[in-house]
Amino acid sequence: MAIKADVQLDVKGLTCPMPIVKTKKAMNDLTDGQILEVQATDKGSKADLAAWAESIGHLYIGIIEEDDVLLHYIRKSGDSEVVEKKFEQTITNEEVIDRASNGGFILDVREEAEFTFGHIEGAKSIPLGELEERLDELDKEQEIYVICRTGKRSDLAAQKLSQKGFTKVYNVLPGMGSWNSELSKEL
Amino acid sequence: MSNKVAIIASNGGLFDAYKVFNIATAAAATEKEVAIFFTFEGLNLIHKQANQALPIPEGKEHFTEGFAKANVPSIPQLVEMAQDLGVKFIGCQMTMDVMGLTKEDFIDGIEVGGAVTFLEFAKDASPTLTF
Repeated sequence: MAIKADVQLDVKGLTCPMPIVKTKKAMNDLTDGQILEVQATDKGSKADLAAWAESIGHLYIGIIEEDDVLLHYIRKSGDSEVVEKKFEQTITNEEVIDRASNGGFILDVREEAEFTFGHIEGAKSIPLGELEERLDELDKEQEIYVICRTGKRSDLAAQKLSQKGFTKVYNVLPGMGSWNSELSKEL
Repeated sequence: MSNKVAIIASNGGLFDAYKVFNIATAAAATEKEVAIFFTFEGLNLIHKQANQALPIPEGKEHFTEGFAKANVPSIPQLVEMAQDLGVKFIGCQMTMDVMGLTKEDFIDGIEVGGAVTFLEFAKDASPTLTF
């Protein structure tokens, strides 16, 4: 299946160190939070791109193998990741499953690609950037547990929902980055 | 954690060149500050003419085909890429004097220095590699 990415980079046919060098250059042109798809045939890129992302501090979301092509997904992270969280109603990772099974609703505001590579069973995906135009998909009467990777995007989303008249909104902390229970994938 | 990678290039064959420049460009692309100290035969790797046709070890000539097939960039291409990524090249003054070479014999953009120039860079680098 196709995974949504903001920018595609074709490094098919290139060998080490070219996939890394080209990825680094392409990444310079992305803004924080955007997703880069790297299309590679170098088998070494499997381990290399993940290690590269880890070393720089970008999020390596995952890899798909299609025929002989490796599709890597990397989300650009910048220094702006560390921001104080403002939204006051919060619940913990541990609480969210119980609360959701009692009629609540888990809203995952990470990018589609991140969601695809692993999310909580039953969660709905609306990336933060699309939230405003998709509010009609949400129910004001239902409790909404907003989650992302670190609690930062979900904090912004919860603030936005609250401004739009949603009162039963909770930011889930610390978020999917520390999720230890089962995950669903859509690959 | 150190953000520097220091490399000594002291051999002048094609394989040596790939080891040096692949590690250097990969490190630079990972946002490390990289310097390479070229000494003795290692100076071939940045010599204007010599680095266009570096020798392949005897008996390994069949690798030429493999390099072409794997679409590996040429050494001059890797050199350009490394410089583009900010890798610093230091030519060893003493070896240049011994070989009767001057800065003009080498590609543009190199520095010339002695052992201390490299040691100063390498004192807080991790790793320091020798090829």
